[in-house]
Amino acid sequence: MRFTGILTLMIIISSCGGEKKPSEEEFLRSLEESATTETSVDTETINAVLQQIPSPIEISMMLKESGTNYNATLLNSPENISNYNTNFQKAMNLGIFGTDLGYTNIFEQNQDGIEYMASIKELADDLSIGQFFDIETIGRLATNSKNLDSLLLITTQNFNNINSYLQNQGRSNLSVLLLMGGWIEALHITCQVAEKSPENAPLRDAIGEQQVVTESLQLLMELYAEDPTMKQLREDLIPLWEEFAKVEITVEKGETTYEVVDGIMMINDNSTSTINISPETMTNISNIIKSVRSKIIG
Amino acid sequence: MKKFMYSLIMAVFLLGGDAYGQCNPEEFTNACIPKLSQGFNFLKSYNVDGQGGSKTKVEYSYVFTKGTQYMINVCGSGGANDGIVVSLYDSKRNIVGSNVHNGQQLAAFVYPCNTTGIYYITYTFDGSKAFCGGSALGFKR
Repeated sequence: MRFTGILTLMIIISSCGGEKKPSEEEFLRSLEESATTETSVDTETINAVLQQIPSPIEISMMLKESGTNYNATLLNSPENISNYNTNFQKAMNLGIFGTDLGYTNIFEQNQDGIEYMASIKELADDLSIGQFFDIETIGRLATNSKNLDSLLLITTQNFNNINSYLQNQGRSNLSVLLLMGGWIEALHITCQVAEKSPENAPLRDAIGEQQVVTESLQLLMELYAEDPTMKQLREDLIPLWEEFAKVEITVEKGETTYEVVDGIMMINDNSTSTINISPETMTNISNIIKSVRSKIIG
Repeated sequence: MKKFMYSLIMAVFLLGGDAYGQCNPEEFTNACIPKLSQGFNFLKSYNVDGQGGSKTKVEYSYVFTKGTQYMINVCGSGGANDGIVVSLYDSKRNIVGSNVHNGQQLAAFVYPCNTTGIYYITYTFDGSKAFCGGSALGFKR
């Protein structure tokens, strides 16, 4: 009997992390499936879609490059943290604060950034993902604008690590909320800035081209159609998807050329895309996102 | 009995043990992030685990935005890319480019995006020894 126990243990140890033979693989898969029958297929899809969503930091950089000024009134106040009691509110607003932190970082408003960092850390602790934020290091980096690259790197890595961790922990729903919150905030900021500069074509394009992202987000929402915590959000976003469906994106294919510069391949794609979004659609998108965000930030 | 147990344990390890060394992609992604060229901001890191050669392709996707330049680099064992080829496909699965030029594997490529859309970042292996590496995606406007 003791011998059988040792043998079983040895088989388990020897199979850990190695290339599994078909019978072992099937056995392990059956164990996994029995534990997560309803979501095992979807989890892979969800993680693949989550990977696609562009970082809000790209939007913040675009806003800075387009010559707009920093405007703290567009952001969610870190003091609103006391309004967030449920995991849904905490995860959504963690995403929102994450985008706001990126915005303050890009515009080198480090003092504001520190306040966002404190609220982020608190929400993350409540969601048991606080271990990913080394607030001391971030605070130290934030004291000097020369550390901008390191600050951006470390905060981006933190959020990437959180998403990977949540997905590996089978808590992808929180990861979805985090990303949704981040995207909603980035779109809200862009819309607010665009309202003040209606002739700014890059801003208009930036809003219109979110149509591509909305296709992925709709898919995510569909995958969570049965999740009661997301039901209201899903319903609130339907009018937004309808407005984005009115945006027309046309692509003209061009020739691609290649050259090597300093050992790096440079791909020169001469294709172009044109985004057609009417002023009415712009206004509707702006109004809807404002209303959705208001419900989330409280 | 002691000899028998030892033989049995050895047999179990040899038959059921690793057919390839364990891949630790994080080690390579961490090496890749600082290798993004000056001016590029880090966006994402990707693990490339070919599972000792049993997996021929590792794929990720990301929405690239018009007006943004993206850089993707690859790091493998030995300080080079160890035969890891990274290719970029557009939303219709047409190839846009890769890190291979005239048969030579380069460490990275830069793609100035003119068309917003979902792009597929695919890693394959050509002459790889470890089938294990990492990659970083960066952007600049």
